[in-house]
Amino acid sequence: MTSTACFVIVSRNDIPIYEAEVGTAPKKEEAAHEHQFILHAALDIVQDLAWTTSAMFLKSVDRFNDLVVSVYVTAAIHTRLMLLHDSRNDDGIKSFFQEVHELYIKILQNPLYLPGSCIKSPHFDTKVRALARKYL
Amino acid sequence: MDPANSPLGRMLLDEITPVLMILTTPLVEEICQKNGLTFIEMLSPFCSFNNIDVPVRTASDQPYRLRKFKLRIVYASDVRQPDMEVARKRLKQVITSAGEEEQPDLFSDPPSIESVLNTSKPECMPTWFQYFNKELVRTVSFSDHEAFDHPVACLLVVSSRDEEPLNKFVDMYNTNQLPPMFTDGSMDPKILKHFLLLHDNQDGPSEKATKVLTGMRSTFGLHDCRLLCINSSKDGLVTHQENLWAPYKSDASSSQHLGGFLSIDDLDEVRNAMQDLSSNFIIPQMEQRIRVLNQQVSATRKGFRNQLKNLWWRKGKDDAPDSSSGSMYTFNSIESQIRVLGDFAFMLRDYELALSNYRLLSTDYKLDKAWKQYAGVQEMMGLTYFMLDQSRKDAEYCMENAFHTYLRIGSSGMRNATRCGLWWAEMLKTRDQCKEAATVYFRISGEEPLHSAVMLEQASYCYLLADPPMLRKYGFHLILSGDLYKKCDQIKHAIRTYRGALSVFKGTKWSHIRDHVHFHIGKWYAFLDTFDVAIKNMLEILACGHQSKATQELFLRDFFQTVQKTGKTFEVLKLQLPVIDIPSLNVVFEDRRTYASPAAVSVKESLWQSLEEDMLPSLTGVRSSWLHIQSSLLPAKAKDSNVCVAGEAIAVDIGFRNPLQISLSISSISLVCKHSSNSEEGEMDAKGSTSEIHKDEDHKISVTSEELNSDTTLFTATEVDVSLGGGETIMVQLKVTPKVEGALKIVGVRWKLSGSVVGFHKFQSDMLNKKTAKGRRKIRQSPLDNLSFLVIKSLPKLESFVHHLPKTVSAGDLQRLTLELRNPSEIPVKNMKMKISHPRFLSVGSPEILSMEFPTCLEKKASCAKCDKDVKSKASGKLFRFPENTEIHCENPLLWPLWLWAATPGKFSFHMSIYYEMGDISSIIRYRTLRIQHTLEVLPSLDISFQISPCPSKLQEYLVRMSIVNQTRLESFKLHQLSAVGKEWEISLLQPIDTLFPSEVLTAGQALSCFFKLKNKKSETAENEVSSLTTLKGPTLRLSNGSSEPLFDTCCSPFSEFHHHEKVYQKAYHQEQQTVDFMLISRPQRSNNNPGQPQPNSFDIAAHYACHCRTASASPVCWFMDGPRIIHHNFSSSLCEIKLKITIYNSSDVSVSVRISTFDSVPPGSSSTSSSVLPANEVGWHDISLTNELKVTTSIAGSGSGIHRSTSPECVPPYIWSGASSTCVELEPKSTTEVPLLICVFSPGIHDLSNYALHWNMQSSANYKDAEDGERFFSGTCEGHPYYLTVSQHE
Repeated sequence: MTSTACFVIVSRNDIPIYEAEVGTAPKKEEAAHEHQFILHAALDIVQDLAWTTSAMFLKSVDRFNDLVVSVYVTAAIHTRLMLLHDSRNDDGIKSFFQEVHELYIKILQNPLYLPGSCIKSPHFDTKVRALARKYL
Repeated sequence: MDPANSPLGRMLLDEITPVLMILTTPLVEEICQKNGLTFIEMLSPFCSFNNIDVPVRTASDQPYRLRKFKLRIVYASDVRQPDMEVARKRLKQVITSAGEEEQPDLFSDPPSIESVLNTSKPECMPTWFQYFNKELVRTVSFSDHEAFDHPVACLLVVSSRDEEPLNKFVDMYNTNQLPPMFTDGSMDPKILKHFLLLHDNQDGPSEKATKVLTGMRSTFGLHDCRLLCINSSKDGLVTHQENLWAPYKSDASSSQHLGGFLSIDDLDEVRNAMQDLSSNFIIPQMEQRIRVLNQQVSATRKGFRNQLKNLWWRKGKDDAPDSSSGSMYTFNSIESQIRVLGDFAFMLRDYELALSNYRLLSTDYKLDKAWKQYAGVQEMMGLTYFMLDQSRKDAEYCMENAFHTYLRIGSSGMRNATRCGLWWAEMLKTRDQCKEAATVYFRISGEEPLHSAVMLEQASYCYLLADPPMLRKYGFHLILSGDLYKKCDQIKHAIRTYRGALSVFKGTKWSHIRDHVHFHIGKWYAFLDTFDVAIKNMLEILACGHQSKATQELFLRDFFQTVQKTGKTFEVLKLQLPVIDIPSLNVVFEDRRTYASPAAVSVKESLWQSLEEDMLPSLTGVRSSWLHIQSSLLPAKAKDSNVCVAGEAIAVDIGFRNPLQISLSISSISLVCKHSSNSEEGEMDAKGSTSEIHKDEDHKISVTSEELNSDTTLFTATEVDVSLGGGETIMVQLKVTPKVEGALKIVGVRWKLSGSVVGFHKFQSDMLNKKTAKGRRKIRQSPLDNLSFLVIKSLPKLESFVHHLPKTVSAGDLQRLTLELRNPSEIPVKNMKMKISHPRFLSVGSPEILSMEFPTCLEKKASCAKCDKDVKSKASGKLFRFPENTEIHCENPLLWPLWLWAATPGKFSFHMSIYYEMGDISSIIRYRTLRIQHTLEVLPSLDISFQISPCPSKLQEYLVRMSIVNQTRLESFKLHQLSAVGKEWEISLLQPIDTLFPSEVLTAGQALSCFFKLKNKKSETAENEVSSLTTLKGPTLRLSNGSSEPLFDTCCSPFSEFHHHEKVYQKAYHQEQQTVDFMLISRPQRSNNNPGQPQPNSFDIAAHYACHCRTASASPVCWFMDGPRIIHHNFSSSLCEIKLKITIYNSSDVSVSVRISTFDSVPPGSSSTSSSVLPANEVGWHDISLTNELKVTTSIAGSGSGIHRSTSPECVPPYIWSGASSTCVELEPKSTTEVPLLICVFSPGIHDLSNYALHWNMQSSANYKDAEDGERFFSGTCEGHPYYLTVSQHE
């Protein structure tokens, strides 16, 4: 079965700093912008929801047709890890988010990385994709 | 907020009102058409009453008063469910016409999101939504499961012109003409009738009509008949201030004159008639109906007994099949009656009564599983709750329930669901639950794409109005809606939604979103032929490197198609394709610095400056005087700008990067410049240009080609065409050549993308516009800062060529090059100087050798005494002055020889700088420099190394071992001559050349080592010098066998110069006095292996230098041991005593005391004698292997008898030194002394007598302090030389 999963890290000012299509479904041109639209729109919900709970993992915050948006908010609120997916696997998604968060913290600790800029590290990319295969 | 005043409340009061069914005769319509109206249209303005005061008493005994009331009047033919197709067309019409009205601000820039947020609520929402919603609600009117659309009364209208009006009235209410609702049993056909006689006053006085009215009254009843007289105005020119009928006339154009025959009195009469009809006829009638029904319902359904009975009865019906059709409830059934009761109560605003009845009914329908009826009742319950403003939760629950139920029953409930959803959303909006309302709108969408589009757009506005505004959702839903609009060909609506979304997504970093929005809106604008806006949007997405290749192609293709459709070439400021790499911008211009080749430009300025340092007139002096001249000649503003010369090109290097994966063709890349011929004009022009630039920024797109054309006489700019592959970056060099004196400013660069779009990039406009005189100095100079030039009149400019310069040479190659200097100008240049960065490789020859043949000019001539001196003078500095009288005009080039000698392998770049002064002094620039750069690759060829060891038997004589390795892979070399540089040296062969070197040619990869004898003649007597100056025994040794080729003169130019530089370069860190320099000259035979070169080049000469080969060891003393070599002795008789003698020579300038100490065992730690004394700087002496040494020793030793050396102290040594173990002698400077020694040999064999040491100590080291090198030793120890003594047993 193919699944759709689009992972985005959104930094301050809603700038996406990392994007990856991690689903198994064959990549479609139209899907790319649609996913972005859904994730972008879901930020509105996250904005409200993030302050109502102390949990970092917000579960499914928004949905569009059969696509669900799950969000993990880092402690600083500014950085949001967002996953658009069509599978219902909350535990896996939570683990995925936690591990990606660790990776992201490692990236942040790199003195050459300017916070808020795009993450271009190929190492990070491979790790994220490996995690996606493992958990999603 | 009073629910009745909310949008939903007003909508309900408008839509859920009593229906008055109207039947007319054709003549009635005819009368009305005189005014351009139908009968209903004529009455419509008078059907809503805002301030009537009617007491109403429904089920309860308490009367209440109705202030507002509205009647819906409908033709009998329209009392039926609207046709689906017609309804759809009508809705589409509504949307399309709304789209047409949007026109004006559709093409302007989208407003900023802040301004959208600040506008008050109703303004930002298109007004036609209300209208559309109303129309959408009307598509489900007259449905069979609801009663509020059932006509409460019937108005029959007959004209007074009709014949037999009374019969007409009877005929009209004929059941077979009635709407289906009456016949299919869903409503009671026996409704109240009212009879109206319409009289046209133009037909004459109303006597006849009054007569008919009397007849009617007697037939139909006194109160149910009425006469209406209209068209009182004779001329038909009555105008009404407010346009009464326009809102009701759907298809009329507003210009049409309506109601021309209706006088004010007529209108009053109509108004009174309608008010009278409602308050005295319809409302009482409804009250009556409610009371009757209420009694019936109470009798059958109210009370405990009835409820039980009902329940039991319903249970019994359980098995009945699901009735999907509504026909099971006829108007007689109690359910229908309750529904009518509820709806009537709702219409008369007795909401309590309505609610109680709806509740009652809802459970019944639910038990009956009559879902459609159930949903309808739930819907009404929700609305009733809302109007009562009681339980919000209940209201929402009911609406949601109704909505779901409608959806569940399938397609037939779809449109009801839409209506229910609309009301629900309105309800939520009234309560400021915009977010929920938006989700409801979103859920309504789904059936018809066009309706969904409208719903989604309404949803998006809900998000906008939510608190806090949810802008991203707003944008997203606008996009969704726009896509659907597009699907339904409503392009204008699509554009409107996308335009709204643009204000949200403007400048977003979400690349796919940005591309999608800009691309589609651009495409749609192009579809509407508004190309400028289309192109503006499409420009945003051109640099879409993140997209896939197919998408990039699509974007570009559509963009170019759009551009082509316009038929113009666009000039676009800040075109994103290709990306201009501003940091790569490099401006090259020639003021006093001129460059011979582009390669010379790329060399760092600091390198040139250091090269030219001592060649240019002294910096400070020139700077002040130069500035002085400049300030007198130039206006003050020009100080900041650079100076360039008319007729000489200014080159600008710019990097163009293609961010896409597809290749782009870019043509006509050129610089945009501003030229002003003199300073005053320049000011004006500069102003003009800046203002024009501002204009550019305002409009972004402008055509400025004619401005370019006018400038071609002042300067010419080159045009470059390139093709950029995917992801490629190309550096493009653009040139502009000013032709006239004045000021030139490079404004920007322009290019043409795929032949249709002209891009224009301005170089840092803000920087150039607001430069302040003070601040500028402090700003770090970047290439962008100095784009304005002062053009001065043309100057001579030297051009240079170096002839015969090869790209690659082998190491050691010596070649003669010719430097040609040309001056195309008439003005002569003079006072030329030249400096070369690598004097080791290049040296300047003397002009006379130009006329000579190349190798012969190097050959040995009789007189070579003078050359030593000028070598020193020339080679000391790198500066070369051309003779004083040298001048270069046009057509009179200067040729000058240069010597190239490849010193070491590697890649080198030579810099030459030629300084020259102008012939006329009037110019601002007095002198210029020509900078020349060449690169040369030197391949390795021969590797030579020398090792010199002092001759053990003679002082001042040395054994030289020369090792040559041919490091090339193909070439072979013929060794020509070996020279020791300096007259005091004499070199000779140890063996004849034939045996040593039979083939004469050193082939590729071959290694060779041979020995020579070197003799220092200086220490010998002076009179010997004269005699030894023969060719054979001189410092030069011929290595080639054939003596035909002459030898080369090594102490003459250029060998001597190169030798000098080589000597400096190879400067040893031990500065020794006793060194000798060797020079090997070989003739490469490379022609054999090079097929590209047809004839053998016999002129090749290669020279190799080895400098500072040390002759003396580290000590100031040298010695040799003398004595017998072979002794025969009878050991059986006695010991063998042998006398030896050591001759010591002090080569230093001070006196030395030497102590000779002998020991019977080898001192520990110094096992190898030969290698430890070798100086460390004997480079290339790579194979110091033991095998060589062994070979030498064995050859001396002859037969295989072992060499005895006292290696271990345990065994008895074969010989001992007798006499004192140490002897001291004093040596005067340059003196020789002899010390006798004695050994006793105990056994026969070959003995190595090297186990002694010389300790030397400089005496007057105090006054030898001038020795600046700290490495110099003042005392030391030398191991003994090997001395082999063969002692054999004498029989």
